[in-house]
Amino acid sequence: MPEKLKEQGAIPITKVQRAAKFISAGAKVGGNYMKHYAKKMVNPSMDKEELHLNNATDIYKSLSELKGSALKIAQMMSMDKNLLPRAYQDKFTMAQYSAPPLSYPLVVKTFQKYFGKTPEQMFDTFTRIAVNAASIGQVHKATQNGKELAVKIQYPGVADSVSSDLKLVRPFALRLLNMNERELDHYMGEVEEKLLEETDYILEVQRSREISEECGHIPNLKFPKYYNELSSERIITMDWIEGKHIKEWMDTNPTQKAKNKIGQALWDFYHHQVHHLKQVHADPHPGNFIVQDGDQLGIIDFGCVKVIPEDFYQGYFALIKKELLINEDELNQIFYDLEFISDKDTEIEKAYFKGVFKEMISLLGKPFHVDKFDFADNQFFEQIFQLGDRIANDKMFRKSRQARGSRHGLYVNRTYFGIYNLLNQLQAEVDTTKPDWLQ
Amino acid sequence: METASAKKTTKKDHRKAILEGYKNHVLEYGSAPKSVFKFAKDLKMKEEEFYTYFTSFDSIKSAIWVEIFDETILQAESQEIFKEYSAREKFLSFLFTWIEELKKNRSYLLSLYESKSKTSMTLPKEAAEFKDKFKDFANEIILEGKETEEIASRPIISDRYDEALWFQTWFVFRYWLDDRSPRFEKTDAAIEKSVNLAFDLMGKSALDSFLDFAKFLYQSK
Repeated sequence: MPEKLKEQGAIPITKVQRAAKFISAGAKVGGNYMKHYAKKMVNPSMDKEELHLNNATDIYKSLSELKGSALKIAQMMSMDKNLLPRAYQDKFTMAQYSAPPLSYPLVVKTFQKYFGKTPEQMFDTFTRIAVNAASIGQVHKATQNGKELAVKIQYPGVADSVSSDLKLVRPFALRLLNMNERELDHYMGEVEEKLLEETDYILEVQRSREISEECGHIPNLKFPKYYNELSSERIITMDWIEGKHIKEWMDTNPTQKAKNKIGQALWDFYHHQVHHLKQVHADPHPGNFIVQDGDQLGIIDFGCVKVIPEDFYQGYFALIKKELLINEDELNQIFYDLEFISDKDTEIEKAYFKGVFKEMISLLGKPFHVDKFDFADNQFFEQIFQLGDRIANDKMFRKSRQARGSRHGLYVNRTYFGIYNLLNQLQAEVDTTKPDWLQ
Repeated sequence: METASAKKTTKKDHRKAILEGYKNHVLEYGSAPKSVFKFAKDLKMKEEEFYTYFTSFDSIKSAIWVEIFDETILQAESQEIFKEYSAREKFLSFLFTWIEELKKNRSYLLSLYESKSKTSMTLPKEAAEFKDKFKDFANEIILEGKETEEIASRPIISDRYDEALWFQTWFVFRYWLDDRSPRFEKTDAAIEKSVNLAFDLMGKSALDSFLDFAKFLYQSK
């Protein structure tokens, strides 16, 4: 069992206090900018990395004290690595592993509310201390009839605070993601909907069962069994998946063959979901995957599932066709369909954005243009970061008042960035299979 | 009301009948009964009989508070794990259980206290006895916390910790009265967070080290 999670001190209670928390972060960020420009006057060669690092620390501190959906947003931002400067990433990645735990009396109370029994009455053993923290809950380890179980308990009041937390995060998202307000609102609705879904544990159990049944045939994957009678709106009980997180596993120096095997399992898992089920586990952050002995990939946490609408699917994946980059007319049509460009754009804007998106697609689609792709290729990721940075700092891009890209793209993009990052972390080379209609 | 067989029953049940009868009256009419005479008559009881148990309506209200408190302690202590809890966890457990007991009487409590909840934090006089009993309980926890060094002994201030916990308990009650979240989840969150804050403040902190250091500097000057 990991060492006792450090209990956090004061957590801001009311909306006002939470707002105050954010404001204080805002003030600090402002202060960091001041410091930055002051230093820069003395030392013009200083780059922005240090500033970003200071900002990331302060913002992360505020976010992690808020728990709940704000933490979730920190996670999301850490996912979209290409959108964030490097210094933010490391800080935010921390959010994926740690959050302060609930007290045991509250755990007992939650059980009594939903089952009328204490954890001790329901299980043979039950850990007093959480063994793991999830973004909106925590995990305890239990046993029943010799079987090891993972019991996930949701923090109370999370569902209620999703909407108000999002409102609080808004100004920060604006700043961090370099988006304008309209663009942001375009996506906020989608984020809110997904976050609310994540607080619905009944739905999560149902989806976990569906997807794990549908994907059961894929080799080297392992899904926990879910127990309906031991689950409720705020509690999920499933099999305990023993193993290591990807990072820990990589520290054990696995063979290239093993790495490719895990990477391929991951790829196949997503391939099947996206192209056959048309709904996808849209939360590929490292905490949701566990490598077991015998190089099996365990998949936990189906809180965030994105259903991909058919018309979006067609347009989006048509983009990965290699010859498309040559066929201008077809490409333009897809750009219109996916709301990348619209009639509201001026001719100059149209030309500019077509160029930008074409460049993005040819880069991000690279793994699909070959039969086998080596994700250990750091240069590929370097190029993505560079492109991201370049675009984000481009005046033309920042000036545009238009929201670009369909809202459905938000979670599908996030999923693919997540997979790419995981595969890079795994240093894996995989067969990048494509659906038949794109062969 | 359900007191038809009151005559045959024992002393204890009489007391209970009066408590129940009073609650029912408040629930049905939204206010206290007009007079003890009328109230006793409704319970098919002589007025002087009423006075063998209670002296006034206020003493009934007071008894209801105490009853809820006693039941809470009984429930909390019946959990085996309660003995193993730290002081912080004991207090949390108390509040969570207390809210459950209050829930059983929510309508009664709302009709008596809701209108006032927004305007004042002052204590209704009928809760005084409950407060005394609560403070005994709180002092036990504080003593235990001091023994395990969960709570820091500080001159003067630490004698007032029981007041602080009482203040917090009353805050939770007020919060719960206004809570409209499903299953009173927000109250749960409020308890968790406020108790953590309270115990962090009472625990040993950087401030103690600072005071100690300051004292040292002052004395060794």
